[in-house]
Amino acid sequence: MSLLKLQKLALTPKGGQTRSNTRDNKAALVFLGPWLLGSVVLVIGPMAASLYLSFTNYNLLQSPKWVGAGNFARMLTDTRLHHSLEVTFLYVLIGVPLQLGAALGLALLLDRGLRGLTFYRSAFYLPSLLGASVAIAVLWRLIFGGTGLFNTILGLIGIESTTSWIGNPDTALSTIILLHVWTFGSPMVIFLAGLRQIPVEFYEAAQIDGATTFQQFRGITIPLLTPIIFFNLVLAIINSFQAFTQAFIVSAGSGGPSDSTLFYTLYLYQEGFGAFRMGYASAMAWLLVLIVGACTAINFWASKFWVHYED
Amino acid sequence: MKPLIRRGLALTAATAFVLGLAGCGGSDGPAGDASSVADPVATVELRLYWWGGDARHERTQQAIDAFMAKYPNIKVTGEFSDWSGYWDKLATSTAGGNSPDVVQMDQLYLASYAARDTLTDLGAVSTLDTSQLEPAVLGMGQWGGRQYAMPVSTAAFGLLVNLDVLDQYGVTLPDTEKWNWDDLKAFGLEIAEKSGGAVAGVAPMGNEYSLQLFARQKGDNLFEDDQIAIRPETLAAYFQHALDLAQSGAGPSASRLSETAGLAIDQSDFATGKVAAIFSQVSQVSAYTAGSGANVQIVKTPSFDANQTKYEYFKPGMYWAMSAQTDHPEEAGRLIDFLINDPEAAAILGTERGLPANPAMLDSLTATLTENEAKAVAYSQSLEGLLGDAPAIVPNGASELDKIIARYQQEVLFEQRTALDAANAMIKEVKDSINSAA
Repeated sequence: MSLLKLQKLALTPKGGQTRSNTRDNKAALVFLGPWLLGSVVLVIGPMAASLYLSFTNYNLLQSPKWVGAGNFARMLTDTRLHHSLEVTFLYVLIGVPLQLGAALGLALLLDRGLRGLTFYRSAFYLPSLLGASVAIAVLWRLIFGGTGLFNTILGLIGIESTTSWIGNPDTALSTIILLHVWTFGSPMVIFLAGLRQIPVEFYEAAQIDGATTFQQFRGITIPLLTPIIFFNLVLAIINSFQAFTQAFIVSAGSGGPSDSTLFYTLYLYQEGFGAFRMGYASAMAWLLVLIVGACTAINFWASKFWVHYED
Repeated sequence: MKPLIRRGLALTAATAFVLGLAGCGGSDGPAGDASSVADPVATVELRLYWWGGDARHERTQQAIDAFMAKYPNIKVTGEFSDWSGYWDKLATSTAGGNSPDVVQMDQLYLASYAARDTLTDLGAVSTLDTSQLEPAVLGMGQWGGRQYAMPVSTAAFGLLVNLDVLDQYGVTLPDTEKWNWDDLKAFGLEIAEKSGGAVAGVAPMGNEYSLQLFARQKGDNLFEDDQIAIRPETLAAYFQHALDLAQSGAGPSASRLSETAGLAIDQSDFATGKVAAIFSQVSQVSAYTAGSGANVQIVKTPSFDANQTKYEYFKPGMYWAMSAQTDHPEEAGRLIDFLINDPEAAAILGTERGLPANPAMLDSLTATLTENEAKAVAYSQSLEGLLGDAPAIVPNGASELDKIIARYQQEVLFEQRTALDAANAMIKEVKDSINSAA
């Protein structure tokens, strides 16, 4: 909104003085310069290049050879690609609701005027800062290994287990989803801010009318929070599709055990840099753009039915 | 009340995130520049690039300094990275026309780079003497009849056995001179039983070098004429061997193996005494014992028939190669020559990259070898009678071979595929990959 205002200011002629108008435009260009340069060189340029490369056979070391839709045709028969899509969708479908649920739950607890709120907020936010880091992924290996902390704790409560949770294809993905859920801090902070925006009068009026806490939650909190939920949902889905670091570190770059954590981005990386199939990897990147774009579009369409904007 | 988040903002954020995907490129691996003292008379500048750990970085930098003292007109800058970051960076810098002049090369990648005209034929570089290496070793630096790389070191393959663990549980090492694969399994079982499961016996093989040897024992070659040539039954037997060890209890469980697969040597189950024996390039014996201090013996790889010969070979541990993009092939050749053939360099570099491929350099080090290094040398010499011709190097398009073997082996270990099914699928995948690279 503020951006729009700025643009209006820049575009509105000031008493018809064309000279100052041009000067303003020049000034705007100067200020926009760094951003413009950055986005052309670092975003738009590489994107255009990868779009071109997605129609070529490119091994990084020799010039790309045009193959038309060859890369996209190969996707149809690439079983590892299909498997990586399966893994990634599973991760998104399970991880996102769990993470947002945890974030909302914690935000509701913290919103009750707790003493030391700042401390708790920071404490719960911390995993978000660390979650995608190499150190935490390494820690995860230690916790969910065969002789790790998790099994030790299970042992303390009487369940003997020597299963290696990250070494077993049936459970490895779950541990990475858990790691993702644990990084609920940033949606939580956004939920908290949203909860703070709901006027107290609504709750007071509801209490006078005899509404229970649950009724208040369902009738006031949730509807007024829907824009925030929507925002968090959109970002969480997009972020989850791009998950890479956790799987890369926990599986030592292999996506193992036996491809059970082969995320789409991890496979893309293996194809591009490991197997010298950068053309195919570029095509994969664009397929991901299409998938995420489609998911987001569906999200926006569906939002009409459940998100309430109050103006 | 004003909603915090409006539809417009969400849409903008979403678009930015989505579009950010396509522009996502690879980042260079961690790399460091070891700058060297500027020389006023330097006229030629070279860049030398290698992967490795801290010990290698220090020694190589010292060797560079010695080289620059000897050739004051050449200034060499060292660049280094860890293994996985190395190949990303080499590929991207080569693609960008900015490749270092001299690069450390591995057998998995040699053909992939040579076939794409990115390396210089060293045979045509007059400043480099290639004659001091054994022809069989030198041959493994060739592709398409040209010498694209100089072997730095040779590696022999064997079984490392932790004698301390054997002593602790009262297990005696069987006669390994004539032993076969069944003896190995029995040995692993005995360790597991006598230790009450505290120590897993023998970890299975699972890489290109061991598959080559296994195939040669079966009378196969892994590669012929730049294509995978191993028979499915042979590859299936290789996978089955790993499955037998895991299922019988003679080796670590499948999930234990996959959990520990990515660990550094000093944290591995063998270094920490949780596994009594592993297959390895024998020069790794120093690294494996550095942390634990255990007494490790190197023994022969089992075979199918005690009288079998000609299946062993020494694999180049790594190579020096010259980029085709270098402006100074003569000087770069001088640098490689110094690193391979000069006793001064040999004294500095020691056996950190494995036992020197140049026999004269190895001899010059004999007096200063550590106990473990001497073990590796003695073991290599003991294999003389079993040596056969050097095999074909890994062809262009198969540089992911080690990872592919590990992946299919895991599928067999977790019983998602039968050994024969995995073998057929793996052969098809490697074949497709080689064909698509050609």
